[in-house]
Amino acid sequence: MKKKILLATTGSPASFGAARVAFEMARRYDAELLLFHVAGVPKKGFSYQEVSDVRSQEAVSVDEDYMAWVEEELKTTYAKQLEDCNNFRILLATGLPHREILRVARGEDVDMIIMGAHSGDSSAVYSKGYPGSTLQRVAKAAKCPVMTVHRESASYMGGFSHIVFATDFSKQSESAFKYALSMAKEFDCEMTLFHALDITSKVLAQSDIEDKLISLRKRLRDVYGPKMGDFKNFEVDVWEGNPYVEIVKIARERMADLIVLAHNTRELDPEQASMGSTLEQVILRANCPVVSVNRPDKV
Amino acid sequence: MPEGTLCNRQPITTDEQLKLTLSDKGGRQYYAEMEQLEVDTDKLWTAIQNTMKSRLKTWLNVCAKCGLCADSCFLYECNGRDPRQVPSAKIHATLGEIVKRKGKVDNAFMRKCMDIAWSWCTCCNRCGQFCPHGIDMGVMFSYLRGLLFSQGFVPWELKIGSGMHRVYKAQMDVTTEDWVDTCEWMADENSEEWPGLEIPVDKEDADIMYTLNAREAKHYPEDIAEAAILFHVAGENWTVPSEGWEQTSLTLFAGDWEGCKQNVLHVYDAIERLRPKRVVGTECGHAHRATVIEGPYWAGREDGQPPRPFLHYVEWLAEMLRTGRIKIDPAKRIKELVTLQDSCNYVRNQGLKNITREIMSYLVEPGYFVEMAPNKEYNYCCGGGGGFNGIGKYRPQRNIALLKKRQQIMDTGAKLVVAPCHNCWDAIRDLEEEYPMGIRWSFLKPLVIKMMIVPDHLKPQDEEGEE
Repeated sequence: MKKKILLATTGSPASFGAARVAFEMARRYDAELLLFHVAGVPKKGFSYQEVSDVRSQEAVSVDEDYMAWVEEELKTTYAKQLEDCNNFRILLATGLPHREILRVARGEDVDMIIMGAHSGDSSAVYSKGYPGSTLQRVAKAAKCPVMTVHRESASYMGGFSHIVFATDFSKQSESAFKYALSMAKEFDCEMTLFHALDITSKVLAQSDIEDKLISLRKRLRDVYGPKMGDFKNFEVDVWEGNPYVEIVKIARERMADLIVLAHNTRELDPEQASMGSTLEQVILRANCPVVSVNRPDKV
Repeated sequence: MPEGTLCNRQPITTDEQLKLTLSDKGGRQYYAEMEQLEVDTDKLWTAIQNTMKSRLKTWLNVCAKCGLCADSCFLYECNGRDPRQVPSAKIHATLGEIVKRKGKVDNAFMRKCMDIAWSWCTCCNRCGQFCPHGIDMGVMFSYLRGLLFSQGFVPWELKIGSGMHRVYKAQMDVTTEDWVDTCEWMADENSEEWPGLEIPVDKEDADIMYTLNAREAKHYPEDIAEAAILFHVAGENWTVPSEGWEQTSLTLFAGDWEGCKQNVLHVYDAIERLRPKRVVGTECGHAHRATVIEGPYWAGREDGQPPRPFLHYVEWLAEMLRTGRIKIDPAKRIKELVTLQDSCNYVRNQGLKNITREIMSYLVEPGYFVEMAPNKEYNYCCGGGGGFNGIGKYRPQRNIALLKKRQQIMDTGAKLVVAPCHNCWDAIRDLEEEYPMGIRWSFLKPLVIKMMIVPDHLKPQDEEGEE
């Protein structure tokens, strides 16, 4: 199992679901949990002494007292979970959240980042200078899998019993596949290999759709079948529709407790990439944790 | 008390002293000590006699207090046209007075001078263009800041800033290891989208050596990655030095003359060591002024030039666009009203006004570029220049100073401001925070990356996904 989990948290209710999963996973799989919080974005020409507090947006002067207070707040917020967690560290930083999350993930060589979909506050003026959400930027650049839990109802963690792996056959999806398969093997759970045929911007005859579904099912089997090794507990399926809707639907139907897919956007501008990105929509709508895998490093 | 523990006449030179000064919340103890700080009047007068050359003496003498500089000063205009804010009045009330009294001034006077030197003038040099005698108050205020620094009367943040440079050779605590690691990190993080992307450290005899602002390494290393991507696409043979990469100079803002010389020598040493054909600096105004315009004199270089031709980022970028080494996709040109912030430090101080407009002509669809009024060498300071952005004590005054830029931007009707200078970028960011008006702001690098045509051989070769 994963040995080092980074929980990137604002400490606000928006990240409680992610926290719940992170603590549960750390406990269940005996991993080290790094509780990471970015205390604020530097003001005053990016000098350190004053930051705009991530939660209150107020200007605060950063010193040992303030950081100690932030740490204490985090401990209070997660008091209950921390009682049962015996292998954790609290790490604090100041800076732009996505950058500091990536920095610590790299520095600590973590195996997984778990975070909420947003901070619960989008009014930060800095987000305009750095377009795109923290999640988008982290998911795009992180070398390890990034698990997102959008809301508490998606955070039920009774272990994994069914994983949906959604693919668009891209190169990035290969890493996501490897990760999904290793998870499925490790936890001995069912796995659905899924592809959604995007028919949203095309007009296709029903017979064409059905032909495509057949050939895509074959493609799924051909591409991934040989890679399954001795793992037999899987099925393949292709549905037509709007990809993110279909991914969420099949996850619900299969009662999946984990969705794995690649971030896979070619758009370099995160602000543009976030618009209608399948991953983003799946994260917002899925009723279970979603893992985005973009790179081969940590799978 | 002649000198305090934190507030004294010594520049910060040790990590210990730096951390001690940093730990003083908001500079409370520092400023309290400053109230007791004794002025070494003999030292002050000696310094003036040794350093005040004929130009400044003449300027002080010939200033007729005619008031023609008044309207040139945005701080005068923003502060209700207070007569005390007229540039000539400001300098006579401070430097003029110190000289007149032969350095025999007291603590309260020095603190008043500090307030004026750092919160009533950003050393933007705009007034110099309107004086019938060619007197440049910005230069005189820079000189005054030096005198104040040597006596310990300098804002807390700038004392720290100059200390950072002396201790870490950077305006932030970025060590050589941190820096080199950041380069590896950024190359690594972007290698998938940009196959073959490298950030070569310490490559000798490259065509270009790149220097930057420590804030990029510390807080937004994307900027380094963006520079690397653009060098990569342009096919440059480039490098960054492991030491001497930090081009900025908070010592310049602080008036720490000795520190200024040290900083620029780090960069020059790197140039001599790696022997690049040319050097390119990042999108920063004061860094360029410190390294290219004033630096050669601080370093005692007789030709008044850096050791190698040294380009501001806009010069390099314009060259790439002009020669087609970077091509803009016409379909992606900006089609919304956009304006350009002229940075005092490389526009007014070096005349790089047309080159930035040449860049805009490649990036913006005709008809969508709106000039601020006034513009080019007559443009106003962003409101945060000269260290103003970073000083907590003067935040209220800085916020007032932003109003001129706010009006200028609003008058253009543009929602996007291109600001190829870190300080301007910050001031405009703060402007939107203080007085929200729904604008965005950007450096050039991310805009160009978004709009350029990427040659096929540089694109990632991944298989296409679904049909």
